[in-house]
Amino acid sequence: MKTIIVLGVVALIAVFIISQYNRLIRLNITVDEAWAQIEVQLKRRADLIPNLVETVKGYAKHEQSTFDAVVTARAKATTATTVADTAAADGMLTQALRGLLAVAEAYPDLKASTNFLSLQEELSTTENKVAFSRQFYNDNVRSLNTAVKTIPSSFFAGFAKVSEREFYEVEDPQDRNAPGVTF
Amino acid sequence: MQAANRRKTIGLLMGMGVLMWCVVYAALTYFGGSGAGIVPIAVGIALISVWGSYYGSDKLVLTMTGAKLIQESDNPKLFDLIHEVIIASGLPMPKVAIVIDSAPNAFATGRNPEHALIAFTTGILDAMDRDQLQGVIAHEMAHVANRDTLVSAVAATTAGAIAIVSDMLTRMMFFGGGRDRNREGGGNPIALVISLVILILAPLAAMMLRSAISRKRESLADATAVSFTRNPAGLRSALEVLASDSTVVQQRSTAVAHIWIESPLDSKSVSKLFSTHPPIAERIAVLKSMESLS
Repeated sequence: MKTIIVLGVVALIAVFIISQYNRLIRLNITVDEAWAQIEVQLKRRADLIPNLVETVKGYAKHEQSTFDAVVTARAKATTATTVADTAAADGMLTQALRGLLAVAEAYPDLKASTNFLSLQEELSTTENKVAFSRQFYNDNVRSLNTAVKTIPSSFFAGFAKVSEREFYEVEDPQDRNAPGVTF
Repeated sequence: MQAANRRKTIGLLMGMGVLMWCVVYAALTYFGGSGAGIVPIAVGIALISVWGSYYGSDKLVLTMTGAKLIQESDNPKLFDLIHEVIIASGLPMPKVAIVIDSAPNAFATGRNPEHALIAFTTGILDAMDRDQLQGVIAHEMAHVANRDTLVSAVAATTAGAIAIVSDMLTRMMFFGGGRDRNREGGGNPIALVISLVILILAPLAAMMLRSAISRKRESLADATAVSFTRNPAGLRSALEVLASDSTVVQQRSTAVAHIWIESPLDSKSVSKLFSTHPPIAERIAVLKSMESLS
């Protein structure tokens, strides 16, 4: 009778340890996958840009500074490797693209061209996908970091070789213009 | 919001269990031993019928609603939007189908996220802009994420079993099931009357519980959809389009009424207790309060 109880307790403890360990590993893999998804979407966007710039150039030759900004931001985005660098380049590129689309607003012929319209649709869905993959990544980093820091899963983090991950934070001036308070 | 909705669903499912227990108890009081054999038979019949449809839910619903599967090349814009929601939710890509019907509506089914199917009427694709459609897709994918096909299958099984038990027992009363009553020396007449009333009212109560569960799942799906897109305004304005539209989907089978985003049954013909959807104005109000939060 006693041995059965002891065996039962040992089995329960083993199940508990395994489930804690597996949860951490699973969270870590999900973060990796979410990161891969961000990279896929950023690459999609980068691939879209040369075509977009060429199309706009056909109608608006004199906006060289806008084109340069987009091309520089794209180059930075494609070479960045760390989370922080990628996020910074991503923010820059988002802004540069916004500038490019604002330029396009001034050219009715361009806005009406079918090529531009289909590029615009593709760009807006890609921007959404980039934003959603960021959001999904950050949500998963949040649950991973919570698991690494809270008891009881924190006891197993070292054993599972899982540590806190970095959030993907994009500097976007448009998100930051909180209403100024004057006294 | 989501946690509260989940708790309420669990409460309602437990209510179903209690109701089932009441029916069994009533059956035993009224018929003694001979009533007991019916319960496993009824549960068995209900299980087979509902779980059969649960496993084949995607194919069954396709035939019942006349939806046709489409590929990415058939509607790249729609697939773009679905991909966006897939990325936001981390769910696998569902099968996509179109129902040729000018009434704007949509539904989701499938026994798990890997076998999910979402369908849209041609009407909803024409009537909605990007953000609205994204809200609708997020609502349907939220049903997939919350496994509402499973929840409604459980609810339907229990409701079905209750209906079968009550039906069989009511028949037995007319065909001389009273022998056991005599053996127990008549029993308590009040208990007998109460158990009779329970048997008659139970199927009705089960239907109401089933509808209440469906309503809770709709509210939950709205909340989950917003957690995917972080854009309550999109779904809100989509629901406003649905509310202002008076056309309803052509085939109005009550069997599949609960799966659509907007109830295909005329709201006036169904009283609130039996309605599978919360009033659309209520859903819009909840989404508006989320908008003011963000």
